[in-house]
Amino acid sequence: MTGPSYGALLDAVRGVHWQARRAVASPMAGTHHSKLRGTSAEFTEYRLYRQGDDPRRIDWRLLGRSDRAYIRLATDRAILPTMLVLDASASMAFPVATRAKWRRAQEIAIGLAAVVHADGDPVGVAVRDDRGLDRLVPPRTRRGVVGEIARVIDAAQPAGADPLAPRLAALRSARIAVITDLLGDADELLRAARVHLAAGGEVHLIHIVAREELEPPRRPILAADPEQPALQRLLVDSTRRAYEDAFGEWRAEMARRWRAAGAVYIEVVTDEPAPHAVRRIAEAPRVGAARQ
Amino acid sequence: MSWLLPSALAVAGLASLAAIALHFIARSRPLAESLPTARFVPRRPVRARARSIALSDVPLLLVRIAAVFALGAAVAAPVFAAARGRVRRIIAVDRSRDVGDLREARDSVRALFRDGDVLVAFDSVAARLSGAAALDSMTTVDAPGSLSAGLAASLRAATGLSSQADSIELVVVSPLSVEEIDHATTSIRAEWPGRIRLVPLRAAATNERAVRVESAEGQNDVVIAGLGLMGVPHAVGDVRVVRGRLTATDTTWASDGHVAVHWPANDSVANWQPRPTIDAIGGVTSSSGTLIGRFPRLWALRGHAVARWADGEPAAVEYAVGRGCIRDVAIVFDPASDITLRAPFRQFAARLLEPCGENRRTLRADSALVGSIAGGSRFTRLAPASALRDRMSESSAWTPWLLALGAALLVVEMAIRRLDRRPA
Repeated sequence: MTGPSYGALLDAVRGVHWQARRAVASPMAGTHHSKLRGTSAEFTEYRLYRQGDDPRRIDWRLLGRSDRAYIRLATDRAILPTMLVLDASASMAFPVATRAKWRRAQEIAIGLAAVVHADGDPVGVAVRDDRGLDRLVPPRTRRGVVGEIARVIDAAQPAGADPLAPRLAALRSARIAVITDLLGDADELLRAARVHLAAGGEVHLIHIVAREELEPPRRPILAADPEQPALQRLLVDSTRRAYEDAFGEWRAEMARRWRAAGAVYIEVVTDEPAPHAVRRIAEAPRVGAARQ
Repeated sequence: MSWLLPSALAVAGLASLAAIALHFIARSRPLAESLPTARFVPRRPVRARARSIALSDVPLLLVRIAAVFALGAAVAAPVFAAARGRVRRIIAVDRSRDVGDLREARDSVRALFRDGDVLVAFDSVAARLSGAAALDSMTTVDAPGSLSAGLAASLRAATGLSSQADSIELVVVSPLSVEEIDHATTSIRAEWPGRIRLVPLRAAATNERAVRVESAEGQNDVVIAGLGLMGVPHAVGDVRVVRGRLTATDTTWASDGHVAVHWPANDSVANWQPRPTIDAIGGVTSSSGTLIGRFPRLWALRGHAVARWADGEPAAVEYAVGRGCIRDVAIVFDPASDITLRAPFRQFAARLLEPCGENRRTLRADSALVGSIAGGSRFTRLAPASALRDRMSESSAWTPWLLALGAALLVVEMAIRRLDRRPA
């Protein structure tokens, strides 16, 4: 199913659950709290019968004992279809020698897919393959979907500077996890995420940052943007501090804006082990918990 | 081991120091490296240079220093001496007309010669002999000897021997007569950095004698008046100065072993070939002196010149007649001039009155001069070979290899630079 390189990762994320941040409005039975309250076996409370309620939901025994008409309420469980959107732009192939960003993004995507699949939720992926074509695995719950996702992700190669926002806008899944370094169309991506959030969906933004971006080499270099070859800046001792400040401010601004929009923003540095990052993403506080 | 051009090593050392200094204060253009977050680096001119005061690129520096020293050593040309403590000998033997008996010269050389010695024979010029066997075929050359030529040839031979020995001995086998030593001899001798062993030979007999001039002209003639001041006119002499036409009697007299000097008083008493253009010239010279004045040139003489005009054209020529000779002198004096009464005329005319051929001044040179040629107190040891080495023309067998090594190191240096420029 998956390559041997993912075996340890899948073992490490076994038992991790990725709960929905809020109640899900899905008619299909799953493991997440549903906005719908129906007749499931899991009893929640009684409520006085009101005109319009289904008479079949009246608890007749209680009516016989108390002469009052109550109906049984039960919380439904629903599934949460999840799509993983992977950024395969050239900036992800950094550092050139190790491609640590891309490697970490692949591992996080596989790990999250395994977690979602283990929760019984449909999971899919959208990524551009090595030929520059969009590859989409629709959300599925069937066995083998994680392996299929792994094959698609393994076939992809980071290159070019294709925008990510159109891909996000085309998705209709309830939960979307975007794994990116945000060095492409960050504003358009946020705009598309707001639309999805406004429609009641969840957006998780997993921001991949390379350690080498946080702490570039001490020697003088002429920094070249792989997605904009014309952009070359001199990174020397005198400009290093300003670079670190600007990069830090930008990351803080991104986190603030994404969180303000209602998304979950999680920064993952490449030297963080993938299982740890997956666990951190999955265990992000739910909306209700955050309020408490 | 020694170096032909040791200063090249010093230059290489200075170049290496400069390279080290440059590596300390290198201002290099930083290498372009991929950094996706490059947009967060403040704008600054890309052409700006990155400074470093630390010793950078040590492997590259080492390769550069090695290349510089390899090239410096190639230019310095190391030479490894083939022999140690060896003395080579050069024997310069005189074969000029000044040598009284050439057999004596051969015997002297044979007594000195040993295997490995270099033989140089000289007269007015010098040549290297192939070995002792060449002595048998060596003959006297009818030319005045030139010690300068012999010393110069010995110096050249010593240059070739310098890499094979520690010391070089120079032996000169010569009568060392006066005419063999010229103005250049002292200077050339000074080039030999050691003592010279002199083996004297018996000199040939001199033909110098007191000049006795006879002439049919009276004392009113300008030339005869000038010769009169030299004290040479006699009633009967060995030299006859003819100021009129040369007669058969004069020719016959000359063929008896005398010298007839035909020195026309005017253009009507000589049937020589006239010059196409008669002009005037400001001086005439012989081997004994120079006369400055304005002289008409009436004839174009051909033959063995004994005096020449200032432009090199013969002014007086000599040709043999029997056992004697006749000299035609195409120098016409103004009868009213007093130029012949002055000292320069007497010096100039001395050559015209010499015996046929010229004087052989085969008297042995002054002992002080001979002593200085031997070296005197200044040079008491044999010449060291190192001082005779011609470092400019000598080559080293190591030079091509060192050049190849330097080139290879430069290729390595280029490869290292290219590797360093590859993006991270």
